Formats: sequence, structure tokens, C-alpha cells
Amino acid sequence: MFASSWLILLFPLLGFIGLSWYGNRISKNLAGLVGCGTVAASFFMTLVTLSNLLFLPPEERVGQVQVLYQWVSAGTFKLNMAILVDPLSVFMFLIVTGVGLVIHIYSMGYMHDDPEYSRFFAYLNLFIFSMLVLVAAADFFFLIVGWALVGLASYLLIGFWREKTSAVLAARKAFVMNVIGDVGMVIAAFAIFESFGTLNFVDVFAAAPGMFRPNDDTMLLITLLLLVGAFAKSAQLPLHTWLPDAMEGPTPVSALIHAATMVTAGVYLVARCHVLYELAPYTMYFIAGVGIITAVFAGSMALVQYDIKRVIAYSTMSQLGYMFLAMGIGVYSLGMFHLMTHAFFKALLFLAAGSVIHSLDGEQDIRKMGGLKNIMPLTHATFLIGALALAGFPLTSGYFSKEAIIMSSYYAEMGNFVFWAIAVLAAGMTAFYIFRVYFYTFVGGLRSPDAHPHESPMIMAVPLVVLAALALLGGVLGPWVDSFLSPVFGHVVEHQHNNALESIALAAGIGGIATAGLLYMVSKDRMSLIKEAMAPLYDLLFHKYYVDEIYDFLIVHPTKAIGAFMEQKVEREGIDYVVDEVGLQVKEVSRGISLWQSGKVRGYALNMVVGMVTILLFVVFM
Amino acid sequence: MLSLIIFIPLIAALALLMVSRENTALIKVFGVGAAGASLALSLWLLFSFDVANAEMQFVQTLHWVPALHINYLVGVDGISLWMVVLTAFLGLIAIMFSFTQKKGLRNFVALMLALEAGTLGVFLALDTILFYVFWELMLVPTYFLIGIWGEGRRVYATMKFVIYTLVGSLLMLVAILSLTMTHYGATHDVTFDLRVLTHTHIDPATQMWMFFFFFLAFAIKVPVFPLHSWLPHAYVACPIPALILLTGAMSKTGAYGFLRFCLPLFPDAVESFAPVIGFLAATGMVYGAWIAIAQKDLKALVAYSSISHLGFIVIGIFAHNGTGIEGSVLQMVNHGIIASALFLIVAFIEMRMGTRNLNELRGLSKAMPVLYGSFMLVMLAALGLPGLNGFVGEFMILMGVWTSSMFSGLSGVLVLMGGLSIVFASIYMLYMFQGSMQETSDNLPDGLTDIDRCEFKLILPACLLIILIGLYPKPFIDRITPSVDSLLHLEKTVNLHAGEDNHH
Repeated sequence: MFASSWLILLFPLLGFIGLSWYGNRISKNLAGLVGCGTVAASFFMTLVTLSNLLFLPPEERVGQVQVLYQWVSAGTFKLNMAILVDPLSVFMFLIVTGVGLVIHIYSMGYMHDDPEYSRFFAYLNLFIFSMLVLVAAADFFFLIVGWALVGLASYLLIGFWREKTSAVLAARKAFVMNVIGDVGMVIAAFAIFESFGTLNFVDVFAAAPGMFRPNDDTMLLITLLLLVGAFAKSAQLPLHTWLPDAMEGPTPVSALIHAATMVTAGVYLVARCHVLYELAPYTMYFIAGVGIITAVFAGSMALVQYDIKRVIAYSTMSQLGYMFLAMGIGVYSLGMFHLMTHAFFKALLFLAAGSVIHSLDGEQDIRKMGGLKNIMPLTHATFLIGALALAGFPLTSGYFSKEAIIMSSYYAEMGNFVFWAIAVLAAGMTAFYIFRVYFYTFVGGLRSPDAHPHESPMIMAVPLVVLAALALLGGVLGPWVDSFLSPVFGHVVEHQHNNALESIALAAGIGGIATAGLLYMVSKDRMSLIKEAMAPLYDLLFHKYYVDEIYDFLIVHPTKAIGAFMEQKVEREGIDYVVDEVGLQVKEVSRGISLWQSGKVRGYALNMVVGMVTILLFVVFM
Repeated sequence: MLSLIIFIPLIAALALLMVSRENTALIKVFGVGAAGASLALSLWLLFSFDVANAEMQFVQTLHWVPALHINYLVGVDGISLWMVVLTAFLGLIAIMFSFTQKKGLRNFVALMLALEAGTLGVFLALDTILFYVFWELMLVPTYFLIGIWGEGRRVYATMKFVIYTLVGSLLMLVAILSLTMTHYGATHDVTFDLRVLTHTHIDPATQMWMFFFFFLAFAIKVPVFPLHSWLPHAYVACPIPALILLTGAMSKTGAYGFLRFCLPLFPDAVESFAPVIGFLAATGMVYGAWIAIAQKDLKALVAYSSISHLGFIVIGIFAHNGTGIEGSVLQMVNHGIIASALFLIVAFIEMRMGTRNLNELRGLSKAMPVLYGSFMLVMLAALGLPGLNGFVGEFMILMGVWTSSMFSGLSGVLVLMGGLSIVFASIYMLYMFQGSMQETSDNLPDGLTDIDRCEFKLILPACLLIILIGLYPKPFIDRITPSVDSLLHLEKTVNLHAGEDNHH
């Protein structure tokens, strides 16, 4: 029944192979059509799979494993090439192919003048394929394969403009950071295999509750090791530094990979392995704690940045923090719901920002923008919708998902007042920074005299409208997501209502918007007064808490220094020297011995006598 | 059959010496013909090999020195099968690539063929003396290849290499002889047949020093940290066609020796030394990778990365379980493919740019899109990207280490060291790849051309195998499994007691 689901993966793969092989020989339009067509076909197959799934009664919707062939069988290690079709993976398929398709179409306009157009679409197809492998995997091994392949696609696309040194460096940083995460997951897979004798999701999750008591050491180890991968991929503290730099890539890439899909892989991983995480409540607290701290940490950095893409990137980190908070307090479907609405409004914000950047010939500094409201009305309207949704303005999609998480952070079994308070604080920050960008960009007068902004072409406008509709109205899907995913998570989340708490959260959001507006309205002199008063804090935030510098000082420089030291001292003057020295000494000794072989008979006779006497003495006295 | 695989290259090498030096066309025909025939036969061997059979297959035996019961005895099992195919495959590529040599082509090709024959012989010999003869036969062509056609401090490098490996192999000869003596002590039979000797019970104290002698010979050849110091000198000095065989095939003879001799002959010694060896191998993994990060010479960088990757192979073998050993055997094949492809790429770059120094290379991707693509694939395989062949081996090896009972509590640490070296691998590989290919450069030579059709043909098979093994390793592993199983469940039937019974 679900064998056709393989086609979902196959189309983008074919697109990647075809475009990288023939890309240079076909026209731009054809390359773009192939790139979009494969993703559209994949989206269509996802819809087919979804309808097949909905025909089944809810309890039969889980655990549909489709085996293609046996991949390896070595000793006890057996593995099939297989995908798992269940509500969770189909839910992710929908987001990846759906949002992916919209962004592919947008890219046809955005990248239109790039000489390496077909290479771009080849990489985008590779990314879609890899992400589908990640969410379709039926076992930890292919999860890791997909995990690493999305890292590769991300590396290729961050460094797409490979002539730019900053892009090359950013790509390297992202890759190495993600390899650290991969290693954590690989070791987790070993621990899982050791405990369960298999890497299959279905078997592992079925066996785990019967084998381990809550907070068993092995469970803690496995869940924490998996988190290394999840945090690296989803840019949570302390493995977050690659994400802001990843904005070096083209803007559609930031929208697709570094906002809507790939960075949510960590959230997906926790949701997928929720059976294991429920056996490790300590880890759950840890996830919730890291999530909420990242949310406020990233939000605070976004307050003072001037690069439009970086602000949105920090906001992505911050929203991912909310999703991890939801995972940590056990309201998985709310986390997945926020993942979905976030995919809509964050992709929208990035694409709208891309539209601005596109019309300003690559300008990303919001201080040089302004007054675009009238010049780019459509971009303005869609950006505003995205910003409202991100700020959690009532009745937008972001309102429903974020509000639900904030309420659960107090009412859920593992929730408490601290989580709730920090979540509200971060919500206030979110509203502030995104409207700061909004006012800078769209209100007032244009601050860069040479620019000639213009509204973007239709092919970029249509995706914006589609995403804006989803970002505005996606909230109504909340109950459906909850019930659709309940066969996987085993329960439906109870919604709590408390007017006082809800009002405070709402007030934080609206207060943030109002503050941004007020600060923008006040004159520049007073702004600089405020800046001076807060100078040390401002510096700290502007320099991203100096985390990059600390890593350089603590890890990068020592690694290089030790490498150089080992090469010089250990390798050349140590091991190599000793070996040469042994050779030289042997040579010296043999030169000494060769003196005995003098060729003089008298000498030999003397030696013989000495030898015989020695043997005689030995025989007599021993 | 097996003899043809070994002796076609050897005889061709001798015959070449009668060909005129000027007749390059004929030299090429000889070289490609012999190496190609050897590869064709080894592929035929691959397809007629009985997958389920763990015993030695295609065994051939001839009396050689009847007085001492030394036989010419060759055979192949699941482990040596892949080594033979790999060597024949790399042999053909190396010889095709050696036609770029300007100086002394005839002798170069002859020596390459001899080296290939020696390596094939090592993998196929089942008589310990025959093994030793082939083992030393590998050394002679290498000595001349580096000494005559090498670069930089080539004489120093080749002397160091030869003396270092000779020390090890002479100790091994002592152990080979005492092994037969021990067997003679038990049964009053003189035999050098490895299949018989593996069933001989050896008392643990004797095992220790015999193991140590064998280990030293193999560990130098692999090399295992800290016995590796010949490698950077030899690799940097070595001409690249010879380097393909050296790194791809010859470095595997050491690891193969561990599997063929150390594990079956000395189980007690293996058990007591495994933690130490595991730790040395893991140290080598991290150490080689760390030094590779600091390298500017591409050839040296790949050389140190080889030290790191060979550490993986050794640690998997001494994990002493199915997953680890099978992973190691697969990784031998993988490393042979990847490292030789990397050296080819280094050679392509050097031929065009006249330098291998990373500080002087930059921005080649624009002019060389085909090289860029294949370089990227090989680089990704080398840093162990999941989905490509390198990862399959590394995953199985580390899984074997994690679940191994041999490392007495060290397993976790060893796996972490493996993880660290994987992270380092991504760093140095990206330095190498991005540093030479990406960004832009103003001083690219005029008329810089992409790799041509011939060069692409050399690198294409490696690229295809990298993807194939990554996607579908089962047929490769399936041929290894039975032999590894029988290796792990070997019984010592010929013990001292039985010997004494015969005596009375």
C-alpha cells in the first residue's frame, strides 16, 4: 500500500542527478522547471500517501515499514534499506515538500541572474532528497545518513558562492559543527545497538519500556548522545554558532534549510524517539532548560543586530528553543504544530526579506533601508503578516502554536513557573526585534539614496502570497495536527486555559511591538542616549556574547597550536629522531665491531685464546 | 588460476627487460596487458568464488623444497579475495598512470608489475615460507621505485623504509621457523602449511614472543603508531603511480597479516595485548589526523590522513568480533580506493600547477569542474560521510569496538578517540578541498585545463565504487562473513597432549 511512497524520495534524487550531470547543457528555464517539477511530483506523492494513511483506522497508521532490500548482514548487525510511513513522517513530508516547492518556485525568480542557476537547483533537489531520507528513515542508521546528507546539502548551499571567502569559511564551520553532532549520534547508535541488538525504530521503541526503568544510566546516555546531534543540527546552545554565519548562502536557502526544514530536524528527532526520552525524565528537563535558555539567549542577540537576515536567523534559533521546550515538557504535538507554523511564517519572513534584498541589489543592512512600504506594497504586506505571526499576534498562526506552548510550560506535568516566565520574556523580545526590523525597513524614508528598489516579479510574489495565507490562517490546523499525530505520540494534549496567564503572555507580545514602535518614533538623539546608557550590555549583545571569540580562544587556537607542536616536537624531534638515532647507533656499534675484523692473524689468535679461556673458566666454575 | 594472477605480472616484468627502452608502445601494451589480464582473472575469481564456503578455495600446491616440506601453496578465502581484487584493480590504474613518467619508462613499468606480483603473492600464499618470500619481494621494487624515480630526500626515505621494514620481517622469519618447530614438537611433522599450523596449540608464554615478532613486522608495514615514521618520508618521496600501489595495496598486507597470522595463531596473546594495541591504534588515529591538519603539502596531508585511517583498520581487527573485523576488511578496500584516488587528484593538480603547496593553490574549481566534482566525492568519502563507502567501514569498526570484550573497559574511550579523529578528518579534508578548489585566484596559469578523458577514466571507477559500496555493501560483506566467522571460532585441535601420545 505504501510502496509508492518510495517515489517521494526518488523524484528529487533523480532531479539532483539529472541537473548535476546535464545542468550545463540545458537552458535555465528547463533547469528551473526540472528542479521545481521533481519537488512538485514529490509533493503530489506525499498527498497520495497522506490519503492512503487517512483511509486506515488510526491504530493501524503507525509502524508501516517498507523494505527495499537488505542493506547489510554482518554478524549480528543486520540492516534493511527501508522507510517508515506513519503520521509523523508524512507530516514532515508535507512540510518539506510543500514549503520546499514554494521556495523552489521563488528561487526561479531570485536566482534568475546567477550564472550557476542549474547547480543551485541541483543542490536544492539534493537537499530535499536528503531531508526526506532523514524523516523517512526506519532505523537509526539511515536517520544518520539523512542527517549527514542534509548537512552536506547545507554545506554546499551555504558555500554556493564559492568565490566568496566568507561563504567558504561559513560553510566549513557549519560542516564541522554538524560532524560533531553526527559523531554524537553515531555513538548513540552504538549504545542503542548494544542494548537492543537492533537499530530499527519499531523494534527499539517496542522493547524499550519493558527493558529500562526511568532514568536508567543507559537511557540517559543514549538520549543525551542523540541530543548532541539534535542540538548541533538545530543550533541550540552551545552548538549554535554556525547558524548566523550560514546566512552567507542565498536567501531561499536560508528560508528552506536554515529556517523551515533542516534546522527542525533536532525537534523531529526528539519527537521520533519520544519513547526513549520518556524513559529519561532528567534528559527531558535538560531539553526544556536548554530550549528555553536558547530562546531567550538568541532573542536577546536579535535585539541589536542590523543585518536583516541575521535578525531572522537568531529568531529561528529562538523559535527552535520553543519547540525544544515543548518537547522537554512532553507536549510533542504542540511542538510539531509550532514547527509547522514556524515553517510557514519563517519561510515567509526570509522570502520577503529576500525580496527586499533582491530589489536593493544585495543590501542587507537595515540602517540603509526604510520607506519600502509604498514602493513594495506586496512585500510589505506579506512581511507584516509574517512579523505578526512570529510575534504571536492574536488569530495569526503563530499565536495559536506559541500560546499553546507557553500555557503548557506552566500546566504540563513537567512545566513550572520559571519556564513560563522565561517563555513570556522571550515572546516579548521576539515581538520587539521583528518589529524593529519592520519599522527600519518599511517605514519612514529610504536611507540609501543610490538604490532603486522595485517590487519583485510575479514568480517571487506568488510564493509570498501562498505562504502569507498559510502563516495567517495555519492556526486553524492545530486540532487536526494534534489528532493526526496522536497515534504516534499515544495521547492528545489537553489544552489549558487561564485568562490571567494568557493575557500576560499576550500583553508581552503586544508590548514588544509597541516598544519597537515607540523607540523607532523617538528621535535619533534619544536613541543614542539609550544606547550609551546601556553600552556594556549593548556591546555584549552586539558581539553575540563573544561566544565565537571564546571558542576561538579555547578550542580552535589550541587545536592548531597542538597540531603544529606535535608535528615539530613529537613527530620530527621525537619519534622520527629516535628511529634515526637507533639506526645511527647500530651503525656506530658495527663500526666498532668491524675494528675487530682487522685482517691481522695475530689479533685473531689473541681473540681465540681469550675466548677459549672464557669458555674454560665457564665450564670449570659453573 | 591463482598462480596466473600472480605470475602474469611477474613474467611480464621480466619479459619487459628484453624490450627496447625506446619502444614505448610495446612497453605500454605489456604493462596494460599484464595488469589487465591479472584484473580480469581476479574478477573471474570473484564471480566463481563460492560465497558460503569458509574454507580456502582454488588451492594449488606444488612441491618446492621437498626436503624441508616447503611447498608452493596458494589459496583464497573471503578475506584475501577482496585484497586480490583490490590489488589487481589498483595495479591496472597505477600502471596506466605510470605512462606519464618521462624517465626510464620501461624499468618503471617492470618494477611496478613486480610490485603488484609481490603484493598479490602475499595475499594468496598459504605456505609461511612462500609468504615470507613474497613479503620480501614487495620490498625490492619499492626500494628502486622510490630511490630512482622519487623526489626530495628520496635516498634517505627509501633507506629508512627498507631498513625499518626489514628489521620487522627478519623477526617474523624467526617466528615463522619457531612456529614450525613448535608444531614439529607436537606432531613430529614438518610443515609450513598455514592451514595446519593454525590448529596447533601453542603455550601462552611462547605465544607472547612469537606474537610480538609477527606483530612488529605487520605493525611496521601498516604502520601502527608509533612505528609510522617511515611513512611520511616514503610517501612524500614516492612517485605517485607507485604510491597508488603502496598506499592502496601494500599497506593492507600488514593488516592482512594480523588477520591471517596473529589472530588465528596466537589467541591468548591477542587477548592480552588487544587493549594496548587498541590504544596505540586509536592514538594513531587521532595523532595522524591532528598532524594532517597542520600540513601544507597535499601529499603529506594525505599521507598523515592514511595513518589515521589505517588506525581504524587495526582497531577493528583487534576488536575481535564479527562486526569489527568485517568492517576492517571492508575498510581496507575502501581506504585502497579512496587514498589512491586522493593521490591521483593530488597528481593531477601538481601536473597542472607545478606545486602541491596549499598556500599557493586556490580557486581551481572554475577552470576544472570535472576535477572539482570528483574531488568533492572522494573527499566526502574520505571524511566518512554517511551514505558513502568510508562511513560503512568506520561505522562497523567502531560498532565492533564499542561492543568488543577485548578492550577491558577502554571501549568507550577508544570510540570517542575515533569520533575525534572523524571530526578532525572533516577539518583537514575541507582545508585540502576548499583551500585548493574554492575562492578565487588571480594568478592561475593561462590555459589551465580540466582533467582530460584519460585522466577521468582513471578516477571514474573509484567514484563509482565509492557510491556503490555506500549504497549496497551487502555483496561485499557477504563474501567476508563466512571466513571471519571461521576465523573467530577456530579450534586448537593439535595440542601438545596429542603430540606426546604419538611420541610414546
